[in-house]
Amino acid sequence: MGRATSSSSSSIESSNHFAFSSTGASASSQRDLSTDLQLGLSISTSPPYGREQPSDWPPIKPPLRQALAEEENECDSATFFVKVYMDGIPIGRKLDLLAHESYYDLIRTLQHMFNTNIIWAEAEVDGDHYEKYHVLTYEDKEGDWMMVGDVPWEMFLSAVRRLKITKC
Amino acid sequence: MFWGNRKTLKMNYFPDEVLEHVFDFISSHKDRNSVSLVCKSWYKIERYSRQRVFIGNCYSISPERLIARFPGLKSLTLKGMPHFADFNLVPHDWGGFVYPWIKALAKSRIGLEELRLKRMVVSDESLELLSKSFLNFKSLVLVSCEGFTTDGLAAIAANCRFLRELDLQENEVDDHRGHWLSSFPESCTSLVSLNFACLKGEINLGAIERLVARSPNLKSLRLNRAVPFDTLQKLLMQAPQLVDLGTGNFVHDPSSEAYNKLKSAIQRCKSIRSLSGFLEVAPHCMSAIYPICANLTFLNLSYAPGLHGNDLTKLIQHCRKLQRLWILDCIGDKGLGVVASTCKELQELRVFPSDLIGAGNAAVTEEGLVHISAGCPKLNSLLYFCQQMTNAALITVAKNCPNFIRFRLCILDPQKPDPVTNQALDEGFGAIVQSCKGLKRLSLSGLLTDQVFLYIGMYAEQLEMLSIAFAGDSDKGMLYVLNGCKKLRKLEIRDCPFGNEALLEDVGKYETMRSLWMSSCEVTLGGCKTLAEKMPSLSVEIINEIEQMEFSLDDMQKVEKMYLYRTLVGHRKDAPEFVWIL
Repeated sequence: MGRATSSSSSSIESSNHFAFSSTGASASSQRDLSTDLQLGLSISTSPPYGREQPSDWPPIKPPLRQALAEEENECDSATFFVKVYMDGIPIGRKLDLLAHESYYDLIRTLQHMFNTNIIWAEAEVDGDHYEKYHVLTYEDKEGDWMMVGDVPWEMFLSAVRRLKITKC
Repeated sequence: MFWGNRKTLKMNYFPDEVLEHVFDFISSHKDRNSVSLVCKSWYKIERYSRQRVFIGNCYSISPERLIARFPGLKSLTLKGMPHFADFNLVPHDWGGFVYPWIKALAKSRIGLEELRLKRMVVSDESLELLSKSFLNFKSLVLVSCEGFTTDGLAAIAANCRFLRELDLQENEVDDHRGHWLSSFPESCTSLVSLNFACLKGEINLGAIERLVARSPNLKSLRLNRAVPFDTLQKLLMQAPQLVDLGTGNFVHDPSSEAYNKLKSAIQRCKSIRSLSGFLEVAPHCMSAIYPICANLTFLNLSYAPGLHGNDLTKLIQHCRKLQRLWILDCIGDKGLGVVASTCKELQELRVFPSDLIGAGNAAVTEEGLVHISAGCPKLNSLLYFCQQMTNAALITVAKNCPNFIRFRLCILDPQKPDPVTNQALDEGFGAIVQSCKGLKRLSLSGLLTDQVFLYIGMYAEQLEMLSIAFAGDSDKGMLYVLNGCKKLRKLEIRDCPFGNEALLEDVGKYETMRSLWMSSCEVTLGGCKTLAEKMPSLSVEIINEIEQMEFSLDDMQKVEKMYLYRTLVGHRKDAPEFVWIL
């Protein structure tokens, strides 16, 4: 069923109606179709507009549109690679943070990648064996090195620039 | 001497009952309509014997007139909103309410048994009235409707004692998660078809199990997402006679007990010919259905975006008898090649887009379509969303498949030219209409000039429905179509440079059509007013965007959305504020 998403009671469309067909509606001058199309088309062909999609193109029914949007949310195709260095190893690695869902996930990957135990904000540490551990730190937007794990995961993702695994 | 005066030569030298019996063999609506026009006597006999009526536009006639003409009515099909409502182009509350129809039918002596609605607003109140008013009501089919909740479904379940079919396709239902399924009484054992795949909420699993167990005639069952894998297995054990199955959640662990149980349950279902659903699925899950693939004639995987190219092709290689395939474009051109070499009986193919943000990963191109056309000679119906198309490909397709009845192509980037030659796709579509002499439905896309419409007007003699978006250069385009396509019934146009000149050249044409939709074109308010004045038998509606509540009365203003249709009952009285009927 169709509904204009400008209706606030619409419970169906979560994407914004990108005025695909109503550009220049009140303009009395000749409408330049190609401009309209450029405005509208850039939605579907280039990422800059992110996830916003006109709700009337391509012409598919709302149930399919919803099913695809849900699937899109589930398996994000976006990536965010950061450099990771470990103390003593001059050659660094790269890691896609968006392929991980939480700190636990990230730590598991790093421990595997670097073959060591890693301490972070929520790790339990055996006090007598500090030497065996490495600490995971990250460089934030201000250039400071912080221990990983104090802030919520999403906040961390927006702040982190690179990672370093340092000796205790 | 023997012939005498022509006027006294009567055509019906058979008694009425004989004619009626003959008419019984005429089932097509078109044919029955023709029969009724032969003479007064045939009109009378036909109308008393007519049981099935199809009304393509609910505003073209009133329920009262319908009831008066066809007292023997048993099955009614009604359509409400225009087709483009499917794509969010028609605002909420535009119209298409079924309640007045049900109310009028309920008051009359009509013994309604079947109601099929498409794009209509159906309230719980109407469902309840429906359920209580017709003792013999057997079949309710709702397609792309809205306005009702599971409470309305509960009323149908509870009150229609002889219900055989409840088929809900792609409706927007407010799911109250009530126990509507439990409303089917224990005495209800008549179900033949039950489809609730579009419902979003939880359902009572015990209730569906018991319902299926007591429905020995159940042939078609389509579940919603909330029905888990192991319930499916239990249902299949109870209904091995199923012909059409729609699964719900199909996620499971292939090493689990549930998987083995399902495999053996499915193997008992030797009659399944049609498979759909997989509303939640992971790639490794599909092997469970391999045993029944060999006999499938219809496979719908368009709601399973979790399946990728390889999974799909592996599956399809088992489906040699497929006649209809609905799939997502993740199958890719190569996958379509597999379809082409496996599914030699294929008649209908629908390839839907899976990636709406245009990341360009999954998509099909002209290659896939050419493979299909070469491998599937029986193909007659196509819906194809693709990344790009070439004239050469379309010409090849036209040569390989001259039997198209429905041809709908949607290039995801509208106005995209042939990427090889950078030309418009006029020649390609021209080849299609020239080759496919039986073409009844056509949707165009890509870069198109007036030329394509010249071809359509010249060659598409059987064309009944045409959908145009972002095409054409001038009014000539639309005129070629209006002048050339004698059998045109529905024309829907968006974002094309067609204006008043095209609209007004042959106003009588619209009386031969069901409807015309034009949005974001060049027609002005003045043009629409002129049309409305000249043709009182048409209803010319101007639909305003909600932002435009202050509707200017300037005749030069371009109309955002216009929908016109022929009607025998004048302007409708239920139009909302934002619809202005001229």
